[in-house]
Amino acid sequence: MIEIALKALFILIYATFVGFMFMGIIRIVTARIHRRVGPPIYQPILDTIKLLSKKSNITHGLIYDFGVIYALGATILAIMFIPLGNIGVLRAYGDLVLITFLLEIPMLGIMFAAMSSGNPYAGIGAQRALLTLLAIQVPLGFAIVALAEYYGTFSTYEIVMAQQSMGWSITALPLLFAAIAYDLVLQAMFGKEPFDIMIAPGEISLGPMVEFGGKHMGILQIQHAIALFGETLFFSNIFLGGAAITIFGSSILNTIATLVVLLIKQTAVLLVATFMGAIFPRFTIDQAARFYWKWPTIIAALGAILASL
Amino acid sequence: MNELAIIIFAPLLAGALAWLIEVKGIRELIGVTGAALPLGFSLLLYQKTTEGINLALNIGVFNLTFALNHLNWFFIGIGTLVGFASILALVSTAKDSYEWLFALMSLTGVLGVFLANDMMTFFIFWEIMTFASFMMVLRYNRSASLKYFLLSVFGAYAMLIALGIIYAKLGTFDFGTIQQAMYQEAYASAFGAETLLSKNESALIYLLFLIAFGVKAGMFPLHVWAPDAYGETNQSYTAMFSGVLSKAGVYGFILLYVLMGTRLALEFGAFRSTTKFGYIIAFLGGLTIIVGGLLAALQEDIRKLFAYSSISQLGYILVGIGVGTALSIQAAMFHALSHALFKGLFFLIVATIVYRTGKTTFADMGGLAEKMPFTFAMAFIAILSLAGIPPLVGFASKWVLFEAVISQNLPILGGMVFFGSAIGFVYLIRFVYAVWFGQRPTDLDETKDAPLPMAIAMVILALFNVILGIAPGLVAKELNKIFGKEVIGGDLFILDLGFGKYNALAVTIYLVVGIIIAGIIYFLGAKVRKVPVTDTYQSANPVTMEYNLTIRRNFFLPLKETLAFWLRISFDRLYRTIGTWVEDLAEVMRTYIYNGNTQSYAWYLAILLLILALWGV
Repeated sequence: MIEIALKALFILIYATFVGFMFMGIIRIVTARIHRRVGPPIYQPILDTIKLLSKKSNITHGLIYDFGVIYALGATILAIMFIPLGNIGVLRAYGDLVLITFLLEIPMLGIMFAAMSSGNPYAGIGAQRALLTLLAIQVPLGFAIVALAEYYGTFSTYEIVMAQQSMGWSITALPLLFAAIAYDLVLQAMFGKEPFDIMIAPGEISLGPMVEFGGKHMGILQIQHAIALFGETLFFSNIFLGGAAITIFGSSILNTIATLVVLLIKQTAVLLVATFMGAIFPRFTIDQAARFYWKWPTIIAALGAILASL
Repeated sequence: MNELAIIIFAPLLAGALAWLIEVKGIRELIGVTGAALPLGFSLLLYQKTTEGINLALNIGVFNLTFALNHLNWFFIGIGTLVGFASILALVSTAKDSYEWLFALMSLTGVLGVFLANDMMTFFIFWEIMTFASFMMVLRYNRSASLKYFLLSVFGAYAMLIALGIIYAKLGTFDFGTIQQAMYQEAYASAFGAETLLSKNESALIYLLFLIAFGVKAGMFPLHVWAPDAYGETNQSYTAMFSGVLSKAGVYGFILLYVLMGTRLALEFGAFRSTTKFGYIIAFLGGLTIIVGGLLAALQEDIRKLFAYSSISQLGYILVGIGVGTALSIQAAMFHALSHALFKGLFFLIVATIVYRTGKTTFADMGGLAEKMPFTFAMAFIAILSLAGIPPLVGFASKWVLFEAVISQNLPILGGMVFFGSAIGFVYLIRFVYAVWFGQRPTDLDETKDAPLPMAIAMVILALFNVILGIAPGLVAKELNKIFGKEVIGGDLFILDLGFGKYNALAVTIYLVVGIIIAGIIYFLGAKVRKVPVTDTYQSANPVTMEYNLTIRRNFFLPLKETLAFWLRISFDRLYRTIGTWVEDLAEVMRTYIYNGNTQSYAWYLAILLLILALWGV
């Protein structure tokens, strides 16, 4: 019992820390692409500390507070189910469909909180967020279907184990298609250009985030960091082979090696998204829907059909 | 007196009494008792499901036979529970005893359908159910009720023809005998021996049943009656109308499998890992999910939104039934239960809103969460359940369904059900935003919270949503009994399908822990100051209540524009056009045949005589 609690605590702290580093990496890499120096890598942590220590906070009612708390709580829930190498709390229950859902539900909390503020920018942002969610769900669904059909199991951990012996998922043609579609979907899940329609800085004043300040925004920063970690980790697990290193004699060394390998893979996923985000301008929402319902859907459906043959 | 008779006829009797007595107070008491009795007796009968109970009533030429087994006990459970909640809410919203009579009569109808043990009983109670629900809609809107009635009659007579064919060939209405005969037929045809029903005839029976049950279940493209009929009636009643009466269609499809599944499977062959006839049901179910969901997102009326949402959710059930493995049918039945629970709850919430505000369109509402906190809390549970958020019952059932479909290597259906889960999210948030949050129109400032009977009814359904969500094993155990083997493994909190596991308890615990951690971070920060809704960012401009800051109309306009091409295709319009054609044809017949000219009538006689002469009479 205590061991499980300690493991869960470790996952939580590690995810938060790495997530913040990822946010820093995104900022540095984007700056370097623009030939700027950019902030130090720990800048998002400083930002969050600043936000959390604001002396004056506002609220628009109970749901405004609860939505934010729920968003962070649900994100913490989500990362517990994703296998992190051999440190698993609930990896036996890390079901593909469950994790896919769990990665989406924090959005419900943010929506609730944003909408209860009654701000029209939040309303329009929520509308865009929901339509983005609707648009990505088709290729995302097909990608998950392709994975489940190829491996014949829904357990993420078993998929990781299968990849240890059969090679990474992306080396199989049907799953390569699924991975391409999923990577395009990730762009919207991270909220990076060209699909950052929901936040859209400069266009609709941050959309759902417009009314948040102080500790509400701080909690959402933490939520964003953990979500970033969870999404990259999930992608690395299902498409890039995850990691389960057992070459060292000591289990601690093995664990560290696993985390390092996973970290490299996660960073790779993140960098691809950052590179794409830095050079593409934003889509409008109907363009995004048409895009996702066309190419990624076709690619992912092809993958799913090939996987089921 | 047999217990089954009480379950079936108590509501009808109570309805008739309530109608006759017409004293306020006593009428409600009798009505609620009429719905409580079946609930109580179905609980009592739970122990007796294993040995089964029979009841036969001799009415004129027909023998009405009823039987209780595991399968229909499950549906009876759904029916009596949601029926009771709905009738309880009717105490607040019923306008007169007319509604008591027909609401309770339709409960009798649907319970009779579930308990029927032969085709004729099934049909008779099916008609009682249709008639009573038609009368409920007729009270509120004539054209909606006529549309519902026409399509229902179309479905019912399709069923009657199918019954006629079965009776003509097999000479029986009894379920058990039909099942056996069909089973023998299936193998006879597989080995090339003589069969009573030809291939075309069994295809025809299948098609007729598809229409009959499809209409009731709101299957695409026979769904057009549902938005109007669900919308234009007493919303407390709709909780039962959508929650229970639509399950009659679902039950019909399961019956189709029970009676002639083997026969149809062998006759028409397999499609991938499922049967061809099943795949048709599943594919139509998938289209129902998408069409229902997209149309729900584009509605401007709260009742219409939930009507389309109901159609969309029934699509899931049809997909599960269509795929046709033991697991997927269990998943479909599980979703039938959770659909009844959360959709019943939703319509009670809608009933409360309509009852307290008198308004139905999104444009007139907003900011009600502060005025009706209890109803909002119930809506919160219902939303989480319908959108499929763990750990509520809506997620557990959807999860089993997803895995059941995908594990059968059916990628297109898999994509369809995934799309359905996102669209559910989309239209619910629209409901949340327009009704509960944002600015409140000043005429809603005096709104009160739910009246007591409705509050109790909502709490009952909400509790089941939560309890069965955290302990989905309760339902899985019951469903396993129907199939007589362990299809869904696991224990009280864990569902184990072999290739996937879902631990509802772990989800609950970690969600609570996560929320506590987030709460600690929140409460460590400085105190919050409450600000009014107008104290908000509007590009740094001052705002007053005169400005409308909440988007209440056409919330999903970009979606509408993206789908413009598809939205031009409307089955509602198609049926209307066909209706107009038939009316025109009748008009033409009237003017040309009954033309008032004596000579033409003489000519008809001459032509008739000529025909008879040619016939050689």
